[in-house]
Amino acid sequence: MNVELTELTRKFGRTRAVAGVTLEAGPGVFGLLGPNGAGKTSLLRMMATVLPPTSGTMRLLGRDPGAYGPRREIRRRLGYLPQTLGYYPGFTVAEFVEYFALLKDMPPRQVPRAVAAAIEEVGLGDRARAKLRTLSGGMLRRAGIAQAIVNEPELLLLDEPTAGLDPEQRVAFRALLRDFGQRATVMVSTHLVEDVGAACAEVALMDGGRIVFHGTPAELIARGEGSGAAGDAPLERGYSAALAAARSVAAA
Amino acid sequence: MTAAGIHSTPRGTAPAEAAYPPAVAALRLAWLHAVSRRVPAALGLLAALGVLLWVALHYHWNIAGGPAARMFIPLTIEAAAAAVVAVGMYGPFGELEHATGRWLPWLRLTAAVALTAAAFGALAAGATGGNLPGGSVALLRNIAGITGLGLLAAVVLGGMLAWAGPLAYLLVTEVALAGSPTTPWVWPARPPHDLGGALCAAGVFAAGAVLIAVRGPRESRHD
Amino acid sequence: MTATTGTAVRPRPPRATGAAPMTAARLLRIELRRNAMPLILPLIAALFWFDSYRPSTATPPLYVLRTFWNMGQGHTIVDFGPFVAGVAAWMGSRDRRRDVGDLVAATARPRWAGQLATWAATAVWAVAAYLILVGALFAVYARQGVQGQPPWWWAAVGATAVIAFSAAGFAVGAWWPSRFAAPVAAFGAFLALMLSSQTGFSSFSGWALILPTNSNGNFQPDSGMLYPWLPDLPIARILFLGGLAAAALSLLGLLPGAGGPRLRQAAAVVTLAGVAAAGTSVVLARTARLGPHGIFIPALHDAANDGSISYTPVCGHAAGIPVCLNPAYQSYLAGVTAALAPVAEEVAGLPGAPVRATQVGAAYDPREGGAGQAMTITGSPPVLGMPVGALGLAGAFGWTSGEAAGQYRLLFVHAFTGAGHGPGTAAQRAVQAALLQDIGVPIATQPQLLSSVGLPSWARTGGPHGPPPATGPVYAAARRFAALPRAIQHAWLAAHLGALRSGHLTLGQLP
Repeated sequence: MNVELTELTRKFGRTRAVAGVTLEAGPGVFGLLGPNGAGKTSLLRMMATVLPPTSGTMRLLGRDPGAYGPRREIRRRLGYLPQTLGYYPGFTVAEFVEYFALLKDMPPRQVPRAVAAAIEEVGLGDRARAKLRTLSGGMLRRAGIAQAIVNEPELLLLDEPTAGLDPEQRVAFRALLRDFGQRATVMVSTHLVEDVGAACAEVALMDGGRIVFHGTPAELIARGEGSGAAGDAPLERGYSAALAAARSVAAA
Repeated sequence: MTAAGIHSTPRGTAPAEAAYPPAVAALRLAWLHAVSRRVPAALGLLAALGVLLWVALHYHWNIAGGPAARMFIPLTIEAAAAAVVAVGMYGPFGELEHATGRWLPWLRLTAAVALTAAAFGALAAGATGGNLPGGSVALLRNIAGITGLGLLAAVVLGGMLAWAGPLAYLLVTEVALAGSPTTPWVWPARPPHDLGGALCAAGVFAAGAVLIAVRGPRESRHD
Repeated sequence: MTATTGTAVRPRPPRATGAAPMTAARLLRIELRRNAMPLILPLIAALFWFDSYRPSTATPPLYVLRTFWNMGQGHTIVDFGPFVAGVAAWMGSRDRRRDVGDLVAATARPRWAGQLATWAATAVWAVAAYLILVGALFAVYARQGVQGQPPWWWAAVGATAVIAFSAAGFAVGAWWPSRFAAPVAAFGAFLALMLSSQTGFSSFSGWALILPTNSNGNFQPDSGMLYPWLPDLPIARILFLGGLAAAALSLLGLLPGAGGPRLRQAAAVVTLAGVAAAGTSVVLARTARLGPHGIFIPALHDAANDGSISYTPVCGHAAGIPVCLNPAYQSYLAGVTAALAPVAEEVAGLPGAPVRATQVGAAYDPREGGAGQAMTITGSPPVLGMPVGALGLAGAFGWTSGEAAGQYRLLFVHAFTGAGHGPGTAAQRAVQAALLQDIGVPIATQPQLLSSVGLPSWARTGGPHGPPPATGPVYAAARRFAALPRAIQHAWLAAHLGALRSGHLTLGQLP
């Protein structure tokens, strides 16, 4: 298993953003759904080792990220795209990806080819020398994806990766996810249920810091059948039904 | 497509903010504009510079170079206050703000004038009981003029480098003072009630304030 | 989860092992290309021209004088330091301002490593610009025929100061990623330099000598011409500034998240080492003393630097006696010989009259307020020693050729009467005044000459209310002596010069 979380919790003051999540994931694409404020981003940030948990245990790629040495090894094998992508406006796309490739301790001789490959992979090959400040929002997002995949990560964490991408790019992106899922654990946090349905083998639904559903997309769809829940697509209805069920249990 | 069953709070039941009168709205807009420019932090820094000026005026410096040199530590603090005002002009919103209504130039102008006044007030308080060369008249002239240069630097160079204007002027003044300058453009060297120096400083401040109001600081395109 | 079949698996690249230098070089290359420092360099260059170059052109064409304002008083550092500190603070705060903190934190390289690459690029731009501008300055001086050796050690101090300001500013920005960090760093640096130039300005020893713009005794008037520039104080300042830079940068390694425990331990060690280096340099500065060739620090002093620079003098003649100067002063030779000629002619043939005038090394004594130094007549045959470096030069610092000539004549006569390093006895002062009158300096104007700046304090008269009138028993005796026919004066001097110089004559014994 590449990801093993046991009763993982994260508090911000009195707010429990993540309230006891237990999860395991091996190679494949894992979707993380949930409404705003459900704790998806905080969970992903903990797995990206940029936010320490308040309690619980976490093993990533067979290592405990609590210690510096193992954490550094995890980060060498990690790709991360945060929800809010910061960037240096004066860098070109290639420089931006190269910069993070070097920070990820990639062998420097491998970097140019890896950078070129990652940029091509996200469809920005013709904008490699463009400054980031000249890119549209969707292109910036793709540049962010490129830096996340440049080191061929074993654990790829993507927070809202398709924000700003047009439908054609989202289709290509899903193919990229499935490709990576052959040999890496890909965790995708998204609001777009169709992305989950198209690319993910497993999906977890979070609400109020907890996982309220964990299964396959087919199982989530089954939750919505006959429930009368809201939604224009089977997966949306399954999402709504699972949420409603979780909330009614919580209220009871 | 409906959202029923998903939203925990039914639509239409969120508490509405109570409406407030136009005067309060204007004050609120000004306050929000000020907060977006980190004006509270700027005011804190200006107060700290006032304290620094008080210390500087009460400490017994062993300074060579006569009156010109004695003026220089207070002048450095005045220029630093001008730099704080200039750097406080740029905001984080970029073109989003430009696509709004007519209030932005007035907000910028008000912020520039109010912060300059605050800088003067803080330093005047710090000069209390001390022997500030030229007194409060020279203080007002110097702050206004150097702040004007900072505002012009913000328009030309961008907010992130706006402090370079007052600093460059400080350096030029230091060189000029070594040679007993007569030009009113080196207004710190002029007597407090000198009309030429006052006009030059006032003119620079007016130019800077108008330009910052109309054009705003140059957007930071580099890092 | 199961993988779908039939999809090619991409090979995974090996880990980077032993490739740290290349990685660092590539990071540095990116940072160099995208650094904000070049934005401010045109403004710095303009200020450098205005502040460091332009005022220096009014000084004589000697490196020791041309570079006193810009190197000795640290104006090149003032032109660069505050701006470099401000921009470095902006660069130090970049990651947090641009919301790249999480992205950088999630990488394998310690955050400190990334920060050091950003700082290094900032410092490289700043130092390169400094070296280019100082190099251009020296190149222009060379074209203008400035004489002597350039103060390379002081240029090195300036470059180290630029590094120190970039490090301090960067640390301020990294710790405090606010929009106000840059102006606070910039103006803080300016204030520090101002205080540096004022602290201990009247002292030639003590810790204040370590401050980068403290100009006391940075060099003696003949540095780079008669004797080498002493590197003692520059070395101590480089140690001080380098220690501060190391401490500022390594403090960043102590921040949470900067790196692992070993890295943070290393950062702590470097911080302590930097502080120790700076402290050691302060201790060394306290042992500094003003010597004949400049400030020397015993622990750093190399005796090889005490030697003289050999040169072939340039010579002229003043009333038949050769006058020889260091070739750096060739442009002043005509003026010096013209100044000495009337005195040489007046005392020709008298016992102790010099057969030659030669330049000797000058020593700057700040207690004299930058004033001149006595001439001496020594040796057998007697030779007039002129500390030209400590004397006024025509056309320099407001000295007219008449004032410069007056100073040379006064000091020549003063040396001839044997007054030495003091005002002299009353009889010596009277003979001095009479001889000056004989060569065309009326007694009535002599108090003004004696009160002018440039003379040693013991030779000067006058006070805050101006020179006193030429009255009193000394000037009365001088008038009587000057009224004598020249032949009688010379006969009396020939018989009594020995007693006059030894101080055994009184006013009443003058004719």
